[in-house]
Amino acid sequence: MTPPRITPSEVDVQQAEKRILRNGVALYWLASEDFEVLRISFVFRAGSSVQTVPFSASAVVNLLSEGSTERSAQQIAEQLDYYGSWYDVNIDRDYAYVNFASLSKFFDRTIEVAEEILLRPAFPEEELRTYAAKRKQRLAIDRTKVDIEAREAFARALFGATHPYGISSDEGLYDSLTRSQVVDFYRRFYTAERCFVVCSGRIGERELQAIGALAEQFPHGSPEIEPPFPTPETVHADFVAHPGAVQSSLRLGRLLFPRQHPDFVGMQVVATALGGYFGSRLMQNLRERNGYTYGVVAAMVNFERAGYFAVATQVGSDVTREALEAIYHEIELLRTEPMPEEELELVKNMMTGEMMRILDGPFGIADVTIENILCGCDNTVIGENVRRIRRMTPHDVWVLARKYLARKDLVTVVAGAERPW
Amino acid sequence: MIPYNRITLSNGLVVVVNRDRVSKLAAVNLLYKVGARNENPERTGFAHLFEHLMFRGTRRVPNFDLPVQMASGDNNAFTNNDYTDFYITLPKDNLETALWLESDRMQGLGITPEKLETEKRVVIEEFRQRYLNQPYGDQTMLLRDLAYKRHPYRWATIGLTPDHIERTSLSDVEAFYRRYYHPSNAVLSISADLDEERMLTLVDNWFSSLPDRASTPDPVPQEPRQTEARRLEVERDVPATTVSVAYHMCARTEPDFYTADLVSDLLAGGDSGRLYTHLVKERQLLSSVNAYVSGDVDPGLFVFTGQLLPGTATDQVEEAFRAEIEALRRDAATEYEIEKVKNKFEATTLFGELNVMNKAMNLGFYEMLGDLTLINREIDRYRAVTPDDIRSFCDRILRSENSSTLIYRARQ
Repeated sequence: MTPPRITPSEVDVQQAEKRILRNGVALYWLASEDFEVLRISFVFRAGSSVQTVPFSASAVVNLLSEGSTERSAQQIAEQLDYYGSWYDVNIDRDYAYVNFASLSKFFDRTIEVAEEILLRPAFPEEELRTYAAKRKQRLAIDRTKVDIEAREAFARALFGATHPYGISSDEGLYDSLTRSQVVDFYRRFYTAERCFVVCSGRIGERELQAIGALAEQFPHGSPEIEPPFPTPETVHADFVAHPGAVQSSLRLGRLLFPRQHPDFVGMQVVATALGGYFGSRLMQNLRERNGYTYGVVAAMVNFERAGYFAVATQVGSDVTREALEAIYHEIELLRTEPMPEEELELVKNMMTGEMMRILDGPFGIADVTIENILCGCDNTVIGENVRRIRRMTPHDVWVLARKYLARKDLVTVVAGAERPW
Repeated sequence: MIPYNRITLSNGLVVVVNRDRVSKLAAVNLLYKVGARNENPERTGFAHLFEHLMFRGTRRVPNFDLPVQMASGDNNAFTNNDYTDFYITLPKDNLETALWLESDRMQGLGITPEKLETEKRVVIEEFRQRYLNQPYGDQTMLLRDLAYKRHPYRWATIGLTPDHIERTSLSDVEAFYRRYYHPSNAVLSISADLDEERMLTLVDNWFSSLPDRASTPDPVPQEPRQTEARRLEVERDVPATTVSVAYHMCARTEPDFYTADLVSDLLAGGDSGRLYTHLVKERQLLSSVNAYVSGDVDPGLFVFTGQLLPGTATDQVEEAFRAEIEALRRDAATEYEIEKVKNKFEATTLFGELNVMNKAMNLGFYEMLGDLTLINREIDRYRAVTPDDIRSFCDRILRSENSSTLIYRARQ
């Protein structure tokens, strides 16, 4: 007595519309009259990998709203909060993202303050010092967690301790970060050449004009010499001692390739089968059968100029070795036995559903659009990827696992009480 | 504004459906009115352990996740002190898969000793990962234990100790299932771009044949009135000291809740809140600060918490919190400040209506509270709060004799 089940075979996504502003900035929009809200995202190629001074990239994006030449940090916060607007920023190794969301009826008020934040940040010395003290403390706290210790050590192991994608800096360096370093980073990297804008929700011509008028003011930058991007130097094992930890944090994986590579989507299928959903092989083994962990994940991670495969989990200290062996074992199984058809079907359906969930709502569509733009694609790539996933056979999975997941190529990092090897 | 249709099946199951006009997904939320507050003090953490067991398969469907995932769905659950919530999102054409699975596990759960043993280990790892192996992991546990002496809110959902989870027996599991997992103790809510009548018919097909096993829950011991200030000081291996002060306040459904929530927003809503402006920005005593209400079904807590910057003394922070309360009592809030909080609630409400899962979950929550109409009326409750209400709240609630202070000191 089971109900009929329909497998969605197509995921179609609204195409973003686009115009190029006078200074060359691309403005994309996904309009929908069904909502009374909108979101505007400004993306800058200004992530931490382009910085030469530790913490300067994140300081810039986090301090944008902490005072402009016209208004204090308090006045900016007040105007955003008063109209219930949401403002948030985030940063990764490659990009910085500045997002505004507001009720449609308060759009004018929001764009007004957005202009202050993006075009006239003052980076007051006092705000910088408060920020640096807070961040230093937060990072020190984070670094008492095995999870963070393993994550940082894993990046160092994959890329090398001085590589822009691998480096982790001492939190004490927050003390020596100066205002002129922050201002300098902003001037060099928050420029028309390094920026694009994506907005979604209730977007009409009036909103587009206002957003365009703002983005058109980004100045041209001086031709930036790309910072060196050295060849990664991978170390295959690392252990971070954390005396007394009741759990160990494990990271396994290897460098592969960014999203544009023809095998990326295929490796996403492999990673999903291994540890990308609740019923995955690693969850079955580590959590359901053995109770070693509360959770384990495997995924493909994408950077602009690199990509890697990773497995991450936290397990009881006393079962660290057993858990590592179980992970190696599950990876090896992918290489020795073809995946049952039914399991692969499940993984495909899961991945299709996941894409639909990410796309649900106007803000989700904007996030996916941004990600596609960063990879040089438009939103038709979603449908293409879903079709590619659906075409995968057990043989394809086996070929990819054999090609990319040999034990000798894997990097293993453990943070915990006792060295497991 | 969320339009909905609400019916009660003959077995007591309350069903609420909302027609979304945009999404390609359906969200199904099944809420059971049982949480950590219903636990035996010797078996804390049980409601949450039981939530995990609900994913361990039934007599007819040995693997719960498999058919959900085959239908391109995703599911999860959470437990808090008041209730346990299970939710699924999947393509709307597959709505029936979710209804089939939820109706099946409402009565046919098949727990074996082996499944129970594995799940206990998973939950104990969760206890370690989130509470023992985490800086500040036991902070809210200590604060609960200080503020509550009788009410089961004195323990967190995860429980008082892993030993309680370890000692759970199969007969405990069976008794709990019979007692709390039946139609009249549950609320099923759905949001999808489907005709409301059609959704109700499908629900009827899958749920109306389930018999009810109505039972009256044991009364929950209520907390006696606190009459003198309490303090606790502990030392831990953490980089920064924190100070938390909790005050007993009213239940989620009382009018005073809206005053409390509005006060917490005046103090800590965003970077322009009074606490952040005064204590982080201007005086630089703290690296972070918050004020929040617990929002529980039974009378809850109003909590101040701040993390100290090096060089700040704990009594400076306690004094600073008192000064903020005094300022609120003296100047109350201006029309401007109250308007701001209202704008915020309006925005939060609209942002929360952007996807089907939030809507289904909210429908279940307000029905559980006992007044579903509140889902579209709460903004009026906030609008009704006056400066006098705020003054009175400070006098009645934010008093020293009603406070519990936890100093969580960083070991030097």
